[in-house]
Amino acid sequence: MSRHVIVTGGSRGLGLGFVEALLADGYLVSTCSRAANEATERLAAHERCFWQQATIGDEASTHAFLDAALAWAGGDLYGLVNNAGIAGEGVLATFPTVDVDAILTTNLSGAITTARWALRAMLRRSGPGRIVNISSIIGQRGYTGLAAYSASKAGLDGLTRALAREVGRRGITVNSIAPGYLDTEMSSTLGATQRDQIIRRTPAGRLGTVADVVPTLRFLLSDDAAFMTGQILTVDGGITC
Amino acid sequence: MRTATESRDVLALIFEETARILQEKGAKVPALNPEIAFLGGSMDFDSLDLATLIVALEERTGADPFRSGFKDFTTVSELASLYEAK
Repeated sequence: MSRHVIVTGGSRGLGLGFVEALLADGYLVSTCSRAANEATERLAAHERCFWQQATIGDEASTHAFLDAALAWAGGDLYGLVNNAGIAGEGVLATFPTVDVDAILTTNLSGAITTARWALRAMLRRSGPGRIVNISSIIGQRGYTGLAAYSASKAGLDGLTRALAREVGRRGITVNSIAPGYLDTEMSSTLGATQRDQIIRRTPAGRLGTVADVVPTLRFLLSDDAAFMTGQILTVDGGITC
Repeated sequence: MRTATESRDVLALIFEETARILQEKGAKVPALNPEIAFLGGSMDFDSLDLATLIVALEERTGADPFRSGFKDFTTVSELASLYEAK
């Protein structure tokens, strides 16, 4: 029977890339997004994919999605990919508090809520489990104008390490993937100067793509990664080296 | 109000699930009784095992007495009473 993996935020960018790759690999995949789009309509039509509107960070909405996803998959859950995230740019001194709250609520509290829920589902069954938190190199290195985002991603890495210790002996691994600057909608707000500067500082000489990150997720979800837990895997073309 | 039979059922469920969890991790299953302590006693049980037990009991009974906050308990009978109070 196919293993069931939940990917939050699967309507575009990296999340959509993850969902499509996991479907191609034969997983049952549940995903959510704040709004439907052409991609989610396509995904919802796939027999091994479940999509429901949900706002990660809103506990009732998140639980409604997760409960429906679990029921759709017959109660099984192998993996959770905490991918849903939002970004907002601006120096902290003038960055609206309401935007700080939204970033922390979605990126960090939302991920903790889904991880807590997923662990309960995983503890109900025997067998291995996987939690992968999509962090960012911005959680490890500072970047002007992204203080709240950086704090939320550093928090995710802390969640990864602590949970890895809590559930390791049950065969559940918890890791982070920390992508560098990717050519996705989320980075579309970068100005041409910023973009050129990032490319110049990246040993690989370009921005990353979704396809650069997908193989790391495939590996972490595989049986081959059973002994790897509590780690932050950086996929950034070398910009942090 | 639960009957005496239901109270025995909760105890039996806790014994059954506790034994299963100990067996699955290859630990020795001691003679279980209502006064046995989960942590720090004769059982090789830790906080993750306890979480596994609470989740299993929720699945079997439909109740999670800890939903609105942690409630202190030490022994099997003290845990059982939390389900009976529901």
